Amino acid sequence: MSRILVVEDEAHLAEGLRFNLEAEGYQVELVETGELALDLLRTGDAPFDLLILDVMLPGKDGFAVMSELRHRGQFIPTLMLTARGHADDVLNGFEAGADDYLPKPFELPILIARIRGLLRRREWLAASIPATPPAPEPRETFTFDGKSLHFDRLELHVGEEVFPLTLMEANVLRYLIERAGKPVSRKAMLEEVWGLHEDTDTRAIDNFIVRLRRYIESDPTKPRHLLTVRGVGYRFVSNPGAA
Amino acid sequence: MEFTGRRKSIAFFIAFGVGLISVILVLYIGWILLAWRNGWLLLLGVLLVLMIICGIMLNTIFLVREIRRNEQHDAFINAVTHELKTPVASIRLYLQTLQTRPVDEAKRADFYRIMLDDSDRLLSTIEQVLRTGRLGAGSHKPELSRVDLDEVVRTSVERVRNLHRVTLEGLYYEPVGSAQVMGDPDELIAAITNLVENAVKYSGPDVHVMVHTERTGDSFTVRVVDRGPGISKEELKRVFRRFYRVPGIASRIKGTGLGLFIVRSVAKRHGGRAWAESEGPGRGSTFAIELPVAK
Repeated sequence: MSRILVVEDEAHLAEGLRFNLEAEGYQVELVETGELALDLLRTGDAPFDLLILDVMLPGKDGFAVMSELRHRGQFIPTLMLTARGHADDVLNGFEAGADDYLPKPFELPILIARIRGLLRRREWLAASIPATPPAPEPRETFTFDGKSLHFDRLELHVGEEVFPLTLMEANVLRYLIERAGKPVSRKAMLEEVWGLHEDTDTRAIDNFIVRLRRYIESDPTKPRHLLTVRGVGYRFVSNPGAA
Repeated sequence: MEFTGRRKSIAFFIAFGVGLISVILVLYIGWILLAWRNGWLLLLGVLLVLMIICGIMLNTIFLVREIRRNEQHDAFINAVTHELKTPVASIRLYLQTLQTRPVDEAKRADFYRIMLDDSDRLLSTIEQVLRTGRLGAGSHKPELSRVDLDEVVRTSVERVRNLHRVTLEGLYYEPVGSAQVMGDPDELIAAITNLVENAVKYSGPDVHVMVHTERTGDSFTVRVVDRGPGISKEELKRVFRRFYRVPGIASRIKGTGLGLFIVRSVAKRHGGRAWAESEGPGRGSTFAIELPVAK
């Protein structure tokens, strides 16, 4: 049974949505603010399959909640539901990372159909990943300069020491290592690793890199592996001596 | 995003203007130092330059004001859109639910009640907007008749009690007996309902609102006292402006920014006044409307 998180501060709409979604056989959780939703999704005690997000919320609005979730690396399918139906608002919603956007007032059957569509897409994706032949075998470990990365366990081993990595850190490293020696732009990283299409906030990546250097460089102020390519982005070099 | 972009360009042009004025001043002072012996011609020049500077400053102030008003207007359109669409969306949702699903008797009654509430909310927003239109046009004088203010207050209080499901203790009202004023009952009820509703709305879950009327000399004053978030000194007057909403609170509590504007306009049309008092943020507030006693 799919679990749906509904973020809606208008009690009447929220109750109406709950009634209908439960009638469709979904399990529904209601929260009134974006902050509560972010907390609930962060702890991840009860994973959700779909998020229905209102825009005009007390405190953080729906757009802010959406982009915060995506920056955190949480890609739960999300339907934004809102009274603001201008083209600008719709674009803002998609830019923030929404999968679908439905202006109020909406048609109930259409809402249900879109929810089904999002959930179905998720299932298809899940089903298709093991089905496709694992053409470029994703590397599970990578060793360089006496350090080894274990992508499957999200760990970095340096001699005897073990550093835990977050999923995002591991993904960034993997992305750079797959392109070792070539410069990789910040924009490409944002798009390919984070799945975001934004021109802004590429500085988030710089912070990431600073953190990664602390793990893999013996002297983070004089990086030898994770090099900055001025005006472009970064380059990974596994064996600086040989180059 | 667009908003901050606009802010930035405004800030740039204001800084640009200030810069130009300083350049004029520096140049001019330099010129005075060079040509101070020229007597009255110099004086004339000084006056002219001062006038130009004043003109530029006035122009800038006017511009900033217009921009601010425009922003408030945008916020108002957003708020009204939301206030109109949300109840419609809710009513549609319930109607379509009833149309497509089997719903048991108890739920059905629940749904009808919710839809009625939503239609009330819709109606009150529409009335608010229309009333502002009428008041703003400054058109005809209200048709004045002898009205019992006590009854007006009671009607308003009961309306809010029903709308927001507040208990008798939560929204306490003190009858005064007879209090005759000259007025348009419809407008007076709208104004006092707005005051009482605001007090309830901004109180949060724990409502303690008191409404009482007293006579002082030639006028009656209705006071609505709450223990809500309070208002800072600078905002006490601004809250009565059209479309104005206290920054920060607007995102937490929904509203159009029309309610208090209506209150003040109605008070003025009746030869009275409206004002707010507060000890400051966090210490509750009192809203009062004063109307002359009927002769």
